[in-house]
Amino acid sequence: MVAAFEAGASPPEPFDLLACDLARHQAANIEGYARLCRARGVDVATLAAAADIPAVPTDAFKVTRVATFGADETLATFRTSGTTIGTRGEHVLRDVSTYDAAAVAFGRRWLARDLAQPVPVVVLGPSPEQAPDSSLVHMCAAFVKAFGHPAPSSTTYLIDADGVLDIAAFDERVAIALARVEPMLILGTSFAFVHFVDAVGKASFDLPRGSRVMQTGGYKGRSREVPPEVLRADLARVFDLDVRAIVGEYGMTELSSQFYERTLFDEQAPLGVYAEPPWARVVPVDPDTLAPVAEGAVGIAKILDLMNVDSAVAVLTQDQVRRVAGENSSGFELLGRAAGAPPRGCSIAIDEILGRKSAGSE
Amino acid sequence: MTRSAAERIADVRRLQKAARNVIENRAALVAEIVESTGLSPEGVELGLTKHVEVHAHEAELATLVERAGDVSSVAVVLSANVFVGALRAIALARAASDDVVVRPSRRDPAFARALVEAANAFGDDQIRIDDDFDVAAVEEGEIHVYGRDETIAEMRKHARPSVRLRGHGSGMGVAWISGSAHLEKAARGLADDVVVFDQRGCLSPRIALVLGDEARASALADALHAELDRLDVSIPRGAVPADERAAAGRYVATMTYACRALVGSHHAIGVAPPGAPLVLPPPYRTLHVAACSSLEDAAKLLAPLAKGIVTVGSDDAATARQLAPPWARIASLGAMQRPPLDGPVDLRDG
Repeated sequence: MVAAFEAGASPPEPFDLLACDLARHQAANIEGYARLCRARGVDVATLAAAADIPAVPTDAFKVTRVATFGADETLATFRTSGTTIGTRGEHVLRDVSTYDAAAVAFGRRWLARDLAQPVPVVVLGPSPEQAPDSSLVHMCAAFVKAFGHPAPSSTTYLIDADGVLDIAAFDERVAIALARVEPMLILGTSFAFVHFVDAVGKASFDLPRGSRVMQTGGYKGRSREVPPEVLRADLARVFDLDVRAIVGEYGMTELSSQFYERTLFDEQAPLGVYAEPPWARVVPVDPDTLAPVAEGAVGIAKILDLMNVDSAVAVLTQDQVRRVAGENSSGFELLGRAAGAPPRGCSIAIDEILGRKSAGSE
Repeated sequence: MTRSAAERIADVRRLQKAARNVIENRAALVAEIVESTGLSPEGVELGLTKHVEVHAHEAELATLVERAGDVSSVAVVLSANVFVGALRAIALARAASDDVVVRPSRRDPAFARALVEAANAFGDDQIRIDDDFDVAAVEEGEIHVYGRDETIAEMRKHARPSVRLRGHGSGMGVAWISGSAHLEKAARGLADDVVVFDQRGCLSPRIALVLGDEARASALADALHAELDRLDVSIPRGAVPADERAAAGRYVATMTYACRALVGSHHAIGVAPPGAPLVLPPPYRTLHVAACSSLEDAAKLLAPLAKGIVTVGSDDAATARQLAPPWARIASLGAMQRPPLDGPVDLRDG
């Protein structure tokens, strides 16, 4: 399917057929998934529509192994950044080639399709050696390899083990790129970019013409929080780029596919609307009934990901999304985490435990 | 004029007497509380008849008075916590001061208002209601704020530096089922603790740790499921907001996938897979049951949640004390929601 996408051909098999086959594979090899299907009244043997596949909540990745294979076959373990009580979700893979192929193919489509030759790629993040369990770092490394010039790790991954951003190395890469008149690809998380913007202050780092930035992820308390439109404007100013060259990416550890804004290559594409690859679908569902919501309504994202071959083909997130229609620009808007729970008396919520500095509340 | 401890205790006893009067004449009040809390009429009845601290030993009240301190005035800001909490909150304030102003929850004012009116009728005119009382206007004494942590933090921002603000935030209860526990009996007590206030109190058990293997944890879950099935009929759960229904559905799906979930008409129980980190289930009668191989194992599992624990209920008080954070109350199963009237229910502030 990925090869067909790269060749501009139609998918060799229908999405629903593949998705249902994967659900059967996962139910056959994961007792918990078979149990969930039974509890939902779904007979996987007769599944015919992807929409009917029971989704695995992302919380399941925190409390149990979500895999069709044994621990001894695990090749890579990606972990969530841990917003729950001392617990990080784990997504295990026994083969990263599928993940890499899909990530690079869709990354190329929305970040690098116009690049005829390798360009300088800089990651405002740690190296894969420093963060071997980060799926984002893994993906960035795949992009460095696929789209980038060979360059030392120290001048490619610019946040060290202590979390310090190497502005001098960034400056050096930019200077070389300017001299060679090569566009750059800058990859980073929102909080890394906030630190970067804070560090440079009113100065700017004018990037070579044609450069672009991929920005992803939330803050999780690792920097001050900045509204997306403000950060986009800040980055455009600091890098002297059009705001449309700041491309948003949406992904999560529990998935093997990613989603991108089309802004770099489609002048009509609205900001904040993410495109799906042909191997993934984002379906807003009612958080209570899990039924798809009406077109244009807000729901939580049920994500069907055909690249999650050995884990969960359908994942239920807590992110709120809304479908946006368009002939060549359909996609979804990302509206953040589901709103806080309503008043529930004085029973504690997990965010409150995380927020408590000490036992006393004074 | 400073009151003696005995006088303070007498003032609290008069407030208890007022509470008894409110309960005795509750016919009109119940419907109002049902409306404001979302609890079922049976749930409100249970709260009023079994969980208002209208009786207390002298020693308990002496401790209450000691914990309350002595201040010129206390302003009490109530939130829509468990509705009967107003008695303890006002008792603590009254023990501390001869000048008490109460701002009831806008959403759930009925019991607090009735209590203050009854106290006034019984001759205590040192307590008054002020619906529009402003935290920033208080110049001295203390402000006691009940509510979510973020509400308390917000109030703290507005309080004057000369005023001490005592926050009583959110919390949770944990049940500890020892190796010698009779599981059916433990389940009976635990079910009673879960059902009160639809598990929305800061003492409500959300997690049960069972000493033993997964089979024993599962056996407790089965027994608890049976008890909650029974209580679902006699004391039905009240209205559950859509977001909480969604959270419960998500929890059930997670536990179904991870190990086991038992779902009743008004409750759900999840059984954790061996060795899994603890999950905090949503309230409204949802309980997470996990097996622990030892007390140390249990303590390790609980550590990330410790800051939120207000009480530990158990069949074995001695081992529960070892497991619980130092500030947490220890209670018998079935009595987790009935702490003695000896201070705030939440002792995290010391």
